[in-house]
Amino acid sequence: MLNVDLLINGLIIGLFYALMAVGLTLIFGILKVVNFAHGEFYMVGTYTYTLVALKLGVDPWLALPLAAGAGAIVGSLTERMLMRPLYSGYTSWGMLKDEYAVVVTFALSLLLVNLVDKVIGPYSQRGPALIDITRMSLGPIMLSGQKLIATAVAAATIVALALFIRYSFWGRQIQAVAQNRLGASLAGIDTAKASNIVFTLSGALAGLSGALLAPIINASPDVGSFPAIKSYVIVVLGGMGSIVGSIAASLTLGVLEGFGAVYISYDYRDTFGLVILMLVLLVRPQGLFGEKGRDV
Amino acid sequence: MKTDRNAVEFRLSLALLALVALIPAAVSNPYWLGVIIVSMYFALLAAGWNLLAGYTGQFSMAPACFAMIGAYASGLLSYHWNVSPWIGLPAAIIVSAAIGMVLGRIVMRLRGPYLALTTLSFAEIMRLVIGNSYSFTRGDLGLNVPGLFDSRLVYYYVFVGVLVAVQTGLFLLLRTKAGLYLRAIRDDEIAAASRGVDVVFWKTAAFTMSTAMSGLAGALYGGFSQLVSPELGLIAQTGLVICMVVIGGIGSLIGPLLGAFLVYASSEALREVGGVQLIVFSFLVIVFARFYREGLWGLAKRAFMRKPA
Repeated sequence: MLNVDLLINGLIIGLFYALMAVGLTLIFGILKVVNFAHGEFYMVGTYTYTLVALKLGVDPWLALPLAAGAGAIVGSLTERMLMRPLYSGYTSWGMLKDEYAVVVTFALSLLLVNLVDKVIGPYSQRGPALIDITRMSLGPIMLSGQKLIATAVAAATIVALALFIRYSFWGRQIQAVAQNRLGASLAGIDTAKASNIVFTLSGALAGLSGALLAPIINASPDVGSFPAIKSYVIVVLGGMGSIVGSIAASLTLGVLEGFGAVYISYDYRDTFGLVILMLVLLVRPQGLFGEKGRDV
Repeated sequence: MKTDRNAVEFRLSLALLALVALIPAAVSNPYWLGVIIVSMYFALLAAGWNLLAGYTGQFSMAPACFAMIGAYASGLLSYHWNVSPWIGLPAAIIVSAAIGMVLGRIVMRLRGPYLALTTLSFAEIMRLVIGNSYSFTRGDLGLNVPGLFDSRLVYYYVFVGVLVAVQTGLFLLLRTKAGLYLRAIRDDEIAAASRGVDVVFWKTAAFTMSTAMSGLAGALYGGFSQLVSPELGLIAQTGLVICMVVIGGIGSLIGPLLGAFLVYASSEALREVGGVQLIVFSFLVIVFARFYREGLWGLAKRAFMRKPA
C-alpha cells in the first residue's frame, strides 16, 4: 500500500530542494561553473528573515521578501566581483576556469560562514512562523500551517521562475547565453547582464528558501551546508544545467528520502541521495535528464 | 640556460624541512612542538591535495574526509580487534586508497566540476555516517586509539621523515612521464586524450595517490592525538587545507608546505585574537585566487629572482 502521507511530505521536501537546486542549475547552465557558496546564500536568507523579524519586529510577511532581497544582493555582488573576471577580463588562471570558480566560491562560502559565526554568534535561532496554526489536517495528511504556506509560496515561485525563463525577454536571453555564450553576444545579447540576472535570481531563490524554512530549521552559521549538498546531488542527478531535470530530481529525491527514512533507516536517510547519485553516474553519467554532450 | 623549476622547488622544500627539523633544538615547549606537528599533518594533506588540484587540475573537497577515514580505519582495527597501530597504519593507507579508487573510477569518467560536487557530498555524508554509527564507531564521542610512540619528539621526526619521503616521491613522480601526463590533463584534457593519454586512468591514479596520502596523514595524526573523532573530517578542515595550498602557491612543490606552516602557525596566533583565523584566510584565498594565482611562493620567486623562472 502506498503511504500517501509519506508521499506528500516527500514532495514538499522535494519542492524546497528544487528552490535551491534550480538556482544552482541556472548558474551552471550560463557560466558552466558550480557555485560552492550556494548554501551561504540560503544562510543569508535565513538570518535576514530571523533577525529582521525578531530583532526589528518587522512583520514576517514583509521579512520574507527582504530575505530574498538580501540573497539577491549577495548573489549579484558575487557575480560582479568574483565571476565576471571569468569571461570578461583577467584572472591569473588562464584556461583553468572551473578551477578558479571552485576555489573562489568555496573560499567565499568559508568566509561568509565564519563571518556570521563571528558577528552574530554560533548559537542557533528560530525564526517566527508566518502563520499560527501548529497542526491541521488535509484529507489523510497532517501538516503544520507554516509548512503548508511555505509549500504554497515555494510552488508559486518555481512556476513563476519557469514562466520567466521560458517566456520573458530576459529569460529567453538567459537561455540563449546558456546555449552559446559567443553566439548570444554576437546576436547583441548583453551576456554580462544575463549572467548577473542569473546570479541575482539564484541568490534570491536560495534566500527565499532559507526564509521559508527558518521556522522549521533553526538559523545557524552552517545551516546552509545541507541544503547546498542536497542541491549539488540533485543538479548532477538532473543533468547539469537542466531546469526541468533538477525539479524532477528534487521531487524524486525528496520522496525517496521520505520513504527510505521510514522503511530503510532514519539515521542514514541522508546517504540515499549519494548512493543514487553514484548509481546514476555509473549508468547515465550525463544525469537523468541531461543531454549527452559532445566536445569539439 | 633553463633551470629546472621542480628541482629548485624540491631543494627549497628540503631546506625548509631541514629548518623545521632543527626547531626542537631551540624550542622545547611541548605546546609549540605540538603546533608544528599538526602543521606537518596539514602539510601532508596539502601536498596530497596539491598533487590532485595543482598538478592534475581535479578539485577534491575531501582531503580532510579521507584523513578521517584513514584515522578511523586504524582506530577501529585497534578498538574492535586489538590490531597493533603498526598494522593499522598500512591498513589506513589501503582503505583510503581503495575508497578513493572506487570513487575516482566512477566520477573521473566525467569532465568538469563533478569531482568537487561528489566529494563534497561524500565528505559531509561520511561524517554523518560515522557520527551516527554509534555502536561501531562510538559516534561523536570519538575513539580512543593507542599511540604509536611515547615521546612527542619521535612523532615530530616521524612527520618530518614522512614529509621528506612524500616530497621526494612527488618530485620523482613529476619527472617521469606520468607527471607529464598529469599536467597535460590539467592544461587541456581533450588535447591530452587526443595525444593518447589515458585520461580517466591518470586522473583516477592521481586521486587515489592523493587519498592514500590523506589516509596516511590521518592515521599518523590519530596516533599522535590518541583521539579520533568525526571532527577530523569537517569541511572547515578541508577549507584550511585549500587555504594553505592556495595561499602558499598552488601547483608548486614548495607552496603547500610553505602554506601549511605559515597558515597553521598564524591560525594558532589568531585564535588568541578571537577565532578570526578562517575569516582572514578565506579572504586571502579569494584575493590570491582572483589576482595572483602563484600565491606566496610566486611572490617570493618574483622578489628573489631577476628573471622569472
